[in-house]
Amino acid sequence: MIVLIVACSVENEPTVNSDNFNRKTMLTNWADNIIIPAYENYTDEISGLVKAKNDFIESRTIENLESLKSAWLNAYIAWQSVSMFEIGKAEQLSLRDFTNVFPASKEDIEANIASGTYDLSLPSSRDQQGFPALDYLLHGSAESQAMITARFDSEVNMRNYLSEIVDRLSSLSIAVLQDWSAGYRDEFISKDGSTASSSVNKLVNDYMFYYERALRAGKIGIPAGVFSNTPLSDRVEAFYRKDVSKTLFMASLNATIDFFNGQFFDGSDQGASLQSYLNFLNSVTQGTDVSSLINDQFTRTLTQAESLSENFYSEVENNNEKMLETYDELQSNTILLKVDMFQALNIQVDYVDADGD
Amino acid sequence: MTAMIGLILISCSDDENPSPRIDAPDTYTFERNGSSTVAFNGQTNRIMMAEELVDAMLDFSITKERLLEMYRNETASGDDASPFDDAGLNAASQNIKSKVAASTDYFAANTSESSQIKADFEFWISAQVEEVFPNQNTVASPGTPGQLADGSSIRYVNARGLVLNQVVAKSLLGALMADQMLNNYLSADVLDAGNKRQDNDNELLEDGENYTTMEHYWDEGYGYLYGTSLDKKNPNSTIGQDDSFLNDYTGTVNNDNDFTGIADEIFNAFKLGRAAIIARSYDVRDEQAKIIRDRVSKVIAIRAVAYLQQAKVALPDDRNNTTAYGTAFQLLSEGYGFVYSLRFTRMPDSDQPYFTKAEVDSMLSSLLEDGPNGLWDVKNSTLDSISESIAARFDFTVAQAGS
Repeated sequence: MIVLIVACSVENEPTVNSDNFNRKTMLTNWADNIIIPAYENYTDEISGLVKAKNDFIESRTIENLESLKSAWLNAYIAWQSVSMFEIGKAEQLSLRDFTNVFPASKEDIEANIASGTYDLSLPSSRDQQGFPALDYLLHGSAESQAMITARFDSEVNMRNYLSEIVDRLSSLSIAVLQDWSAGYRDEFISKDGSTASSSVNKLVNDYMFYYERALRAGKIGIPAGVFSNTPLSDRVEAFYRKDVSKTLFMASLNATIDFFNGQFFDGSDQGASLQSYLNFLNSVTQGTDVSSLINDQFTRTLTQAESLSENFYSEVENNNEKMLETYDELQSNTILLKVDMFQALNIQVDYVDADGD
Repeated sequence: MTAMIGLILISCSDDENPSPRIDAPDTYTFERNGSSTVAFNGQTNRIMMAEELVDAMLDFSITKERLLEMYRNETASGDDASPFDDAGLNAASQNIKSKVAASTDYFAANTSESSQIKADFEFWISAQVEEVFPNQNTVASPGTPGQLADGSSIRYVNARGLVLNQVVAKSLLGALMADQMLNNYLSADVLDAGNKRQDNDNELLEDGENYTTMEHYWDEGYGYLYGTSLDKKNPNSTIGQDDSFLNDYTGTVNNDNDFTGIADEIFNAFKLGRAAIIARSYDVRDEQAKIIRDRVSKVIAIRAVAYLQQAKVALPDDRNNTTAYGTAFQLLSEGYGFVYSLRFTRMPDSDQPYFTKAEVDSMLSSLLEDGPNGLWDVKNSTLDSISESIAARFDFTVAQAGS
């Protein structure tokens, strides 16, 4: 890892960045063809989740629980396409922290349900809400579907908690989409310079952070035991549901690859993005074709990931070498992205690697 | 049967008649009549007490009295206490407080400063309970203690953004472990005081023990770095993993490509110095003490700069985004403690630290005085100027330490 430390300079936004690439076009493509459509899709799925939740709360049947679980999964998959855009309102609200911190703390969730008093806005409550908490409530809060339904039926506190955490996901997601639609999009595109607080520099850093921490470490490395003495099978995403970890991971990986290549969210076309930026720079420097190296490595990663079982929990328990191989493929691109790409784009890493004890 | 091959070193002396060659063993293994002469469980106990104390500062159900008992290993009225979870520590006679700012070289004639330093720790411990604990479920903001997210962790800060458990941990590293090692147990004045040299020459053993006092003192210095090492004879096999204090950060610095080898240099100096004591080569012994002083002081300085520089990166772009300060405050608080510890470093050819208390206090104040709310207001330029001041007195650059 190379951290480029440059002496602090006064933060003026130059109107033209130093390498003549049209950042404004790229930012416009990102905002209009990728980010906003992805948030629209996400908020649609969340509103489906809210409806399914309301139906289940009103009528606690196994059928309604099934529908709710299905709505949860659709929203969770949609989330994977927006999680990396922790900028603007999402950054202010710490959207990812309140949406998808796992493992959830089932002890704290049950304590919240029992006491009826909690403050979901606290950072320390991150592991008691969001998709992982719903995963626990819908799949892990009792021994069987019938018993889960029975718990919800008899425990009003549990219904209230379910309702609150779904409603909170909804209000957070709506706040972020509204901010994009009501002015942040223009602000985002207008900051088309190349200083540390420019949109490109910030979003590329957000992307890298997401790739390293959420995708590489969170979904694969941590459960596989890369950062600990033993594998940690209870740290997989969707631990209680178990059989959708790969689906979520592939959604995230594909979103990561698509963003790199400027693929429209609706898949209809490709626009300016990191790939075209790198190609532009490479046509000037005639150096290594970094974007091809990165895409080749993405392809290898996809192939390796396809070989994983749908159930990451059992994969870690029984077949962890495959998880580690997947990690290794993700790790290869970490270097290409964080070192080669950052250097080519002349962007500095704006976050710290240190664990800070 | 010890393996006494390994290093054969000639002492660094300018004499025309070179000192006798000293065989240092491969590992820190020294015996007399078939039994080990090495013992440092007092140091082991104090490291373990410090670990428990620092961890307990994040136990929101603990009382101030109990935390202070852990620091003192006695009750407020001076009676025996059992504040630790570990029964062995409760039975131990040692305590942290009496060895904080207690080195002979620096504090034998400076009890007033010593008592101020000892009181600093009680102040931070009390503040944690009185200011931070009640705000466990408050989100911190300028002037308000509480919690902040730091990645997947939660940090608890006082009104000025200090993570007090980190301040205590990194300050103890200097005030207890480094001070005792560099300015007491490796001190020629201490090692030679009274009849110790003569007693060592004559192999006069301590009553009921298998070591001379000089041998034992040297081992006690060793114990402040390796007291909880997995393999105390070969501690570099797990350097960095064996405590949260000097061992931890010696390992961290050793893993930095700019400073690889520093762990070996320190260990080899301990080993050779100890062999020199047996061989009665006191010049060689003191040369090794200088090496240890130089390297351990450097570890402290490097980590101070590293944390301040990393904090610069971690501070949010938008300084008004108060929820985003968690990582920066954790790093700044660790840096604060390492700066505090600079007062306990030791220049190798001197009886002085690299920075006096006044200089250290000035750096600490400047961290907290860029605005009315302490670390909330800290400026990058302040972090840079403190980093430059520190690096200037050593042979490393801010860039080397900062990465």
